[in-house]
Amino acid sequence: MPPKPKIAFFDFTSCEGCQLTVVDALQTHLGLLDLVEIVQFREAMSERGEDYQIAFIEGSCTRESDEARLRAIRAQAAVVIALGACAHLGGVNSMKNRWPIENVQTYVYGKHGRERYESYPARPISAVIEVDYAIPGCPIDRLEFIRFVQKLLQGRKPKLPDYPLCVECKLAENACLNKLGQPCLGPVTLAGCDAVCPSYGDGCEACRGFAPEANFAHMREILQGHGLSEVEIDAQFTMFNAYQLKAMGANAPLSTGAGNGSRRRTADAEKLPSSTFAAPKET
Amino acid sequence: MSLYILPKERLPGFVDNLRAGFRVVGPVRTETGFAFDTIHSADELALDYPTTILPPKKYLLPQRETLFTFHTGTSEQGARQIDVQPAFEDVQPTVILGVHTCDMHGIMLYDKVFTEGYRDEHYIARREQTYIVGIECLRPCDEASFCKDMGTLTAPPVYDLHMTAVDGMYLIDTGTEKGERLLLSNVEVHLATTEDIRRLSQTLSAKWPHFRHRLKMTKDQIPSLMTINYGSNIWDTLGERCLACGSCTNVCPTCFCFDVQDEMDLNMSEGQRSRIWDSCQLHEFALVAGGHNFRGSKASRVRHRMMRKGKYIQQVHSLTGCTGCGRCQRACLVDITIPGTLNALYDEMQIDLNPATGA
Amino acid sequence: MFETAPNLVTTTTPRPTNGHSSIYLPTVAQVVGVQTETVFEKVYTVRLPGGKNLGHRPGQFVMVSIPGVGEAPISVMSSPSRTHDTFRLCIRNAGDLTGVIHDTVLPGDSIGIRGPFGRGFPLEVFKGKDVLVAPGGLGMAPARSLIDEILDNRDEYGRLVVLYGAKNPSEILFREELRAWRQRDDIELFVTVDRPDESWVGHIGVITRLFPRVQINPFKTVAITIGPPVMYRFVVMELLGKGLTPDQIWMSFERRMKCGVGKCGHCQVNHRYSCQDGPAWTYAEALAFEEAL
Repeated sequence: MPPKPKIAFFDFTSCEGCQLTVVDALQTHLGLLDLVEIVQFREAMSERGEDYQIAFIEGSCTRESDEARLRAIRAQAAVVIALGACAHLGGVNSMKNRWPIENVQTYVYGKHGRERYESYPARPISAVIEVDYAIPGCPIDRLEFIRFVQKLLQGRKPKLPDYPLCVECKLAENACLNKLGQPCLGPVTLAGCDAVCPSYGDGCEACRGFAPEANFAHMREILQGHGLSEVEIDAQFTMFNAYQLKAMGANAPLSTGAGNGSRRRTADAEKLPSSTFAAPKET
Repeated sequence: MSLYILPKERLPGFVDNLRAGFRVVGPVRTETGFAFDTIHSADELALDYPTTILPPKKYLLPQRETLFTFHTGTSEQGARQIDVQPAFEDVQPTVILGVHTCDMHGIMLYDKVFTEGYRDEHYIARREQTYIVGIECLRPCDEASFCKDMGTLTAPPVYDLHMTAVDGMYLIDTGTEKGERLLLSNVEVHLATTEDIRRLSQTLSAKWPHFRHRLKMTKDQIPSLMTINYGSNIWDTLGERCLACGSCTNVCPTCFCFDVQDEMDLNMSEGQRSRIWDSCQLHEFALVAGGHNFRGSKASRVRHRMMRKGKYIQQVHSLTGCTGCGRCQRACLVDITIPGTLNALYDEMQIDLNPATGA
Repeated sequence: MFETAPNLVTTTTPRPTNGHSSIYLPTVAQVVGVQTETVFEKVYTVRLPGGKNLGHRPGQFVMVSIPGVGEAPISVMSSPSRTHDTFRLCIRNAGDLTGVIHDTVLPGDSIGIRGPFGRGFPLEVFKGKDVLVAPGGLGMAPARSLIDEILDNRDEYGRLVVLYGAKNPSEILFREELRAWRQRDDIELFVTVDRPDESWVGHIGVITRLFPRVQINPFKTVAITIGPPVMYRFVVMELLGKGLTPDQIWMSFERRMKCGVGKCGHCQVNHRYSCQDGPAWTYAEALAFEEAL
């Protein structure tokens, strides 16, 4: 047997739920530890080794001071993997990108927020360093994580599904939520999670990122058919993918155009936020 | 083989007796509709179901199925060694109750596909142990179906038993000897009388007016219609709408394409090769290793599906490629339908043919 | 099909197989030789159990697999005339499986083989005729099978003309054989490269540039072209320009394949399955398929 590859886990701006899923996977699939040697995993152990070859990074980059640490990981690891939606896409953290960062800092941390807390628009780690692979999802799928590690150990390029979630929903014979009048982004979202949310009756929110052939125009029509307003549809689209949509610039499938879908509604910072997924206005 | 009478009140006993020797599956009510599922008593059986999301094909070609298991190791000299063992998964005596006539046409096609040319022993193993018990459709499922147009509103010769509800009883036709044995050994029935058969005939002939035609052409015209319209602009229009989600093919009783994937156990030496339903509507379906995609556009993929349903399957297997069950229409979120497409192509041709209206 | 192991593992209910086994079950064969051909291609010599003859025709393919990684169609490179207890495959490092094969498979290793599959080229039709073979790139591998077969049964065929196009000199396959062919007077060989380097002294340009160099008798010639999809349209035009009819022109269609036995649907060209009715087709047949070219 060749020596076991040394792997390490790192976290940036995230809830650490993906690392918890890894801990979970290690408990249900003990054999994983026969395949790899974990040298650094703050969530699960206190030892710290710096001689890792494979780095799993959870969380998005939301401040300048994160960048150096990311580059250091990249310099050490032969393979860098974005673990979960935040690292892969920017994730829910990137919702804030829809508003000017000053307003966000003030809204979240109070009027001294800008001085006390460093922050800038959230980005996937691939915006800072070269990333070899991403394991999508919020959180990641445990079995997909295991399959991914196995393929890596076989010397293969792990490949993830590139088709919409509807495929997995149909194979599970789920009733289509969109057909039942409940918003679901399955038709534009990458499969791979075995349609876990729709299987339990919750509409997909695109945590795995958009499928390469995502038909946004008709997805919007479907959501309009459910009675969602343009602003609500924008909110659905930007839940996990605000960074990607902003990067699309004028082509972004958002009613507000310009990609960030924000300025129009944030002229008056006092009225922040008007987004459906943000906390209600403080009074 | 003959027509028998099964009084409705004896159905539960029949199901219970079957359950002793078989996995009995049939249409059951779900939270939002109906699905084929294993039934534990006749109460669960909803024989008057309109339709299901997936056709009963899932019991003959499961969504995912192991083809063989393998063991790989290393010899003393360090060479890779392989051991493979075929697997025949999900092979068990099964009775599928309440199969609609459209779905029987789907099964008839499957039987041909998997037994002609190279025999697919995985399919055949399951099929040999499966009894098909049909139910005559006396009312349309809903607006989406167009079985009357496709000639699938009568039962094809794939059933072992076929039931027609007439008043308080089922008239049961025996399609095969094994079907007849299944019936006679599991429930008390009596031969249909002349009067019973008269009522059956009346019921059957009375059902037709309840079904409407949706196609503007006959099914025999469809292959030509597809040939003529291979270059139609309609494919671009449909391709623009298509979500490329594969729902239409996954729910289709005549779709059988599959992908093949290997999975390893955690020990990295054992595993299995499986097949999983695949869809020609997905981007990767016709992509080759060099990077060339033979159906890169959604338009070309939508067209391929329509061509298969309307022409190719007919050409290769001499059986209908579309059973008119309406499932793809029910599954589609952007209203791409087979009748809609065929009728649009037909209308376009009328414009071409008629100089008065031609552009 | 090969005979396969009679013992079965069933995951649910045991079932007598009446001597049948799974068409998807590979025969475990042994790689007995690996030879690096170019940066992208290696030639693998494979031995079936007991040294059984593969029994193929030129233009057929086998499904090659490494359990745990996957399976892919690979054209047989050896000619039937040179296939006894082993056969050869020229494999390009182009995908998931072929990458693993290139990286890990050494002499002595086992691999899975199914086949041969497909229709192959009809040698009985070619016999007595002049044969023009026009391979491009990796198409030279299946072409080798045909060329060697003709060379080994030289009296049965008329002229043998080979027009070979490669992207650049470093991607030219089978240099030794090409050199040997040049020494013979019973094979006319022309080679061109799209992108020459300083050392290249031969023809420059795409394969169609070679066609004006040869004269053929259109009444007694068959042409076979094997290469990437983009090549066919232009090669066919040249051949038609020489007076050949569509049924004198043969081509091999690469398609995605998952089963090799006409079930999985991936290799469909219109209503036909490339793995069954192809991968070799006449141009006349191809003309009837909108999806062919």
